[in-house]
Amino acid sequence: MSQVFHEIEKKIITSLKDNPKQTMEKLEKSTNLSSDQIRRGVEWLKLKELANVVESTTSIFSLGKNGLEAFEKGLPERRLLNLLKDGPKTMQDLQKELGSIFGPAMGLARKNNWIETNEKISLKHSPVELPGEKTLKKIGNGKQPKNEIDVVDLSSLLKRPDFLIEDVQKSKEISLTDHAKSIAISESVGAIDVEAEAPPIFAARTHPLKDTIDEIREIFVTLGFSEIVGSMSQSSFWNFDALFTPQDHPARELQDTFYLDGISAKKIGTPEQIKNVSASHKKNWRYLWDINEARKMVLRTHTTCVTIKHLAETKPDEARVFSVGRVFRNEKVSYKHLVEFNQIEGVVVGKNATLRDLMGIQREFYKRIGITKIKFWPTFFPYTEPSLQTMVYNDRLGKWVELFGMGIFRPEVTKPLGINKPVLAWGGGIERIAMLKYGLDDVREFYNNNLNWLRSVNKCQ
Amino acid sequence: MPVVEISYSNLQKLIGKSSKKQISESLPFLGLDVESEEGDLVRVEYSPNRPDYSTDFGIALGMQGLLGVKTGAIKLNIKKSNYSIKVNSTVSKIRPFVTGIIAKNGKIDDKFIKKLMAMQEDLHFGIGRKRKKSSIGIHDLDKISFPLTYTTTNKTHSFIPLTATSKMSISEILEKTVVGKDYGNLLRNSSQVPIILDSNSDTVSFPPIINAAVTTITPKSKNLFVEVTGINKNDAEDMLSIVATILQSAGFSLYGVKITGANNSSPKLGLRKITISPNLITDTLGLSLSSSKIISALKKSRLDAVSKGNNIICTIPAYRFDIFGPMDLVEEVALGYGIQNLEPILSPSQTIGQTNLISDKLKSLSLTVVGLGYLEVLNSSLTSKRILYEMTNRESKKIISVLDSKSQEHTILRNSILPGLIENLSRNIHAVYPQKLFETGTIFSDDNVIDEKVSFAGISAHQDANFTEIKSVLQSVLRTAFNFEIETKTFEDPIFENGRSAAVFVNGKQVGVIGEISSKTIENYKIRVPAVGFEIVLSGFVF
Repeated sequence: MSQVFHEIEKKIITSLKDNPKQTMEKLEKSTNLSSDQIRRGVEWLKLKELANVVESTTSIFSLGKNGLEAFEKGLPERRLLNLLKDGPKTMQDLQKELGSIFGPAMGLARKNNWIETNEKISLKHSPVELPGEKTLKKIGNGKQPKNEIDVVDLSSLLKRPDFLIEDVQKSKEISLTDHAKSIAISESVGAIDVEAEAPPIFAARTHPLKDTIDEIREIFVTLGFSEIVGSMSQSSFWNFDALFTPQDHPARELQDTFYLDGISAKKIGTPEQIKNVSASHKKNWRYLWDINEARKMVLRTHTTCVTIKHLAETKPDEARVFSVGRVFRNEKVSYKHLVEFNQIEGVVVGKNATLRDLMGIQREFYKRIGITKIKFWPTFFPYTEPSLQTMVYNDRLGKWVELFGMGIFRPEVTKPLGINKPVLAWGGGIERIAMLKYGLDDVREFYNNNLNWLRSVNKCQ
Repeated sequence: MPVVEISYSNLQKLIGKSSKKQISESLPFLGLDVESEEGDLVRVEYSPNRPDYSTDFGIALGMQGLLGVKTGAIKLNIKKSNYSIKVNSTVSKIRPFVTGIIAKNGKIDDKFIKKLMAMQEDLHFGIGRKRKKSSIGIHDLDKISFPLTYTTTNKTHSFIPLTATSKMSISEILEKTVVGKDYGNLLRNSSQVPIILDSNSDTVSFPPIINAAVTTITPKSKNLFVEVTGINKNDAEDMLSIVATILQSAGFSLYGVKITGANNSSPKLGLRKITISPNLITDTLGLSLSSSKIISALKKSRLDAVSKGNNIICTIPAYRFDIFGPMDLVEEVALGYGIQNLEPILSPSQTIGQTNLISDKLKSLSLTVVGLGYLEVLNSSLTSKRILYEMTNRESKKIISVLDSKSQEHTILRNSILPGLIENLSRNIHAVYPQKLFETGTIFSDDNVIDEKVSFAGISAHQDANFTEIKSVLQSVLRTAFNFEIETKTFEDPIFENGRSAAVFVNGKQVGVIGEISSKTIENYKIRVPAVGFEIVLSGFVF
């Protein structure tokens, strides 16, 4: 198999085929590449598992002060022997000539029986090469790695002070893997390394939560529902009163509901609507209904206010409508609570609408978003009777979690607004569904706008 | 929603003939959400419309029906007695109604007293609306000499209140005790306050604040006196009906208390009747059920019912004041029948679905902007002055604030989207550039009424970001998505750099702004590259 290589890689492989083990420095010389190019090329080959890199340490020797002097003038004992070549000399003369090296030179010469001492000192025998001379010549003014030097010869110099400087260096030895040895280098022109990593770029995309909302919108439309929209700021009348929530209900309190500071609705409904709604409260909840309480503006706590207003205006005999949008709760923000989140709300109006239909639509809806394990439990809402909640099984958490609330609007809600047919209604938070979809445990992630997360989320879950 | 802790073994004893498994599986079908379970103890959340579930006695009554151990309505057996309370008309303006009941020969131990207190707390919070509508006092009957008087007194009146050891005046109680501080406002600074005195003129209770210490119930008590006061006769009787039902099922014998004077009268606590048509039930549930099946389901919900002609006459105990009319009985049938036995059906739709025009346009807009490499972000509508004005040097217009937000980051409604996008950049200075973001969403303004408009903003941040680039993007988006041509005219806006910002016009009308984000804002947020952006209000010209 022939593979496409970069020019640098080609040169390194070729050189290593000729000379199987080389240091980085040697490769530099043998390939005529810069040390940087060698480093990169070896790294690429290593990643492709074509090169072995063995790290080792080597001692590099250079000459110290005394070594350099010996290199220029000769070893002290050589200088002594050279002086005696012209004939015997007195101790005083030799001392004068050799200075501080006279002692060590004399010691060695005596010990090796090169000289004879009578009245004068005379030469007995002068060896052609003294121990250490080979090493001095080899290193000279430069540097030599330990493995290039005769170890015995080197050791004689190591004992002498300031003769040698040892520098321990790490070095890498490069060789080809068995696989690489058999590789034929392609010579095709213009070929590129198609296996190399490419820099990442990020696809722009719509927000994951918006995708979930769009998916839900699509499901509703295919089930025959039409979308309605409404304001986020609402009078308490539509958010609470029209939905049969008494004026001193806990849900209305400041800690649950965002009231707009100092803003009251001027017109809240038709005189008839106001009259009928207040009468329903007075009759059933038995308290003094206060129109000023109904005028207080709130950020809608559910999208049900949009639905009920629409039904009160259109009074349909037959309808399927839904609305989706932001709702608000004055709660502490946490991994499972947001002050502002999205809710989906759907209603079916029709003379034959039944509780089992309501459950059937839920089951179909969940099936379409991929949730099949569901069950229904009774629950309570002020404005529906009967009321149910769906529990869905969360495989990841291994438990049943509450999803949508639902029910049939109470006659105390519909009658005062002139709605005469049964209304099936349900709704719930979209973030909960999206969390299941994207495997999130912290709902705040949807609004953190962390680009690393947004760029990493897959479009299809 | 309120939570009550109950023990399975105790429930089993109260219900009779039931296994722990049966009980545990049936709790949700009684409308009780299991919060947590640990050994024999289970914590369940109950709906505020069923305060009878505030004790295990009440839950046992419901469970007996559901499991078929005992069905039908629970009737209160209230014996006649000579106990009485006379009401003085002076209370009419402050807390006009009182009612009460005597409960004798029950087993009173520490556990029972604790349950009673917990129930009382829940009732005070829920149906009593923090003691405003009605409140309960439970006393040791044998420490009180009847007849009683419910009247008013002034604030110098003194007695030893619960948990205290010496006499305190009403003023002191209101100023110094926790309950006095918490509930004193219910008396609306009246100089006269309600008081219940016994025949020796000893204080029994200072409603709705505190009882006298002397009548405190202890494990040595044998018999109880319960009084409920309130601002509405029905509310007071509703609350009493719960306590009476619980005490009877706890094994006490009940005796009536005669109430006279100032529009007060003895409580009825009797059964009510509601007539219902079987058709309403079958039509609503989508279930064909015979009258006898309906009756048996109602009995399982602990109501009584008989068939009469084409109708069913249902008998409802006083404590089920959550039942307003026939539709509530439909739910009782569903519960008695068993929600788990209702099979969902999917009826074919008679209608054709359609998305809203605004959603359609926004979707098409999103697709276009994404096509130009912009990533969609989402920010809250509720934001802070810091983000909306301070960091971006924008001048504050008429600010719309919410009251008492629990989050400092969410105190005002945004009137612009762009500041949020700039803040998003500041949170992502370590992410790879270029960063190109957009958002569509609602902005709010207060022009006598709150005006909500849909706005669209985009921002581009990278080393070479400039005005021309962002203008190209905006004109391409509006042309591709909506076939609008834009014009830009010199305009100053503090969010942008002077001389590098413009107003955006479509068909001669200003729809937004565009420009290079001011270096001061970039500095404020420590963003390391230049940024350019725009904001266009879509409402009014796109839809």
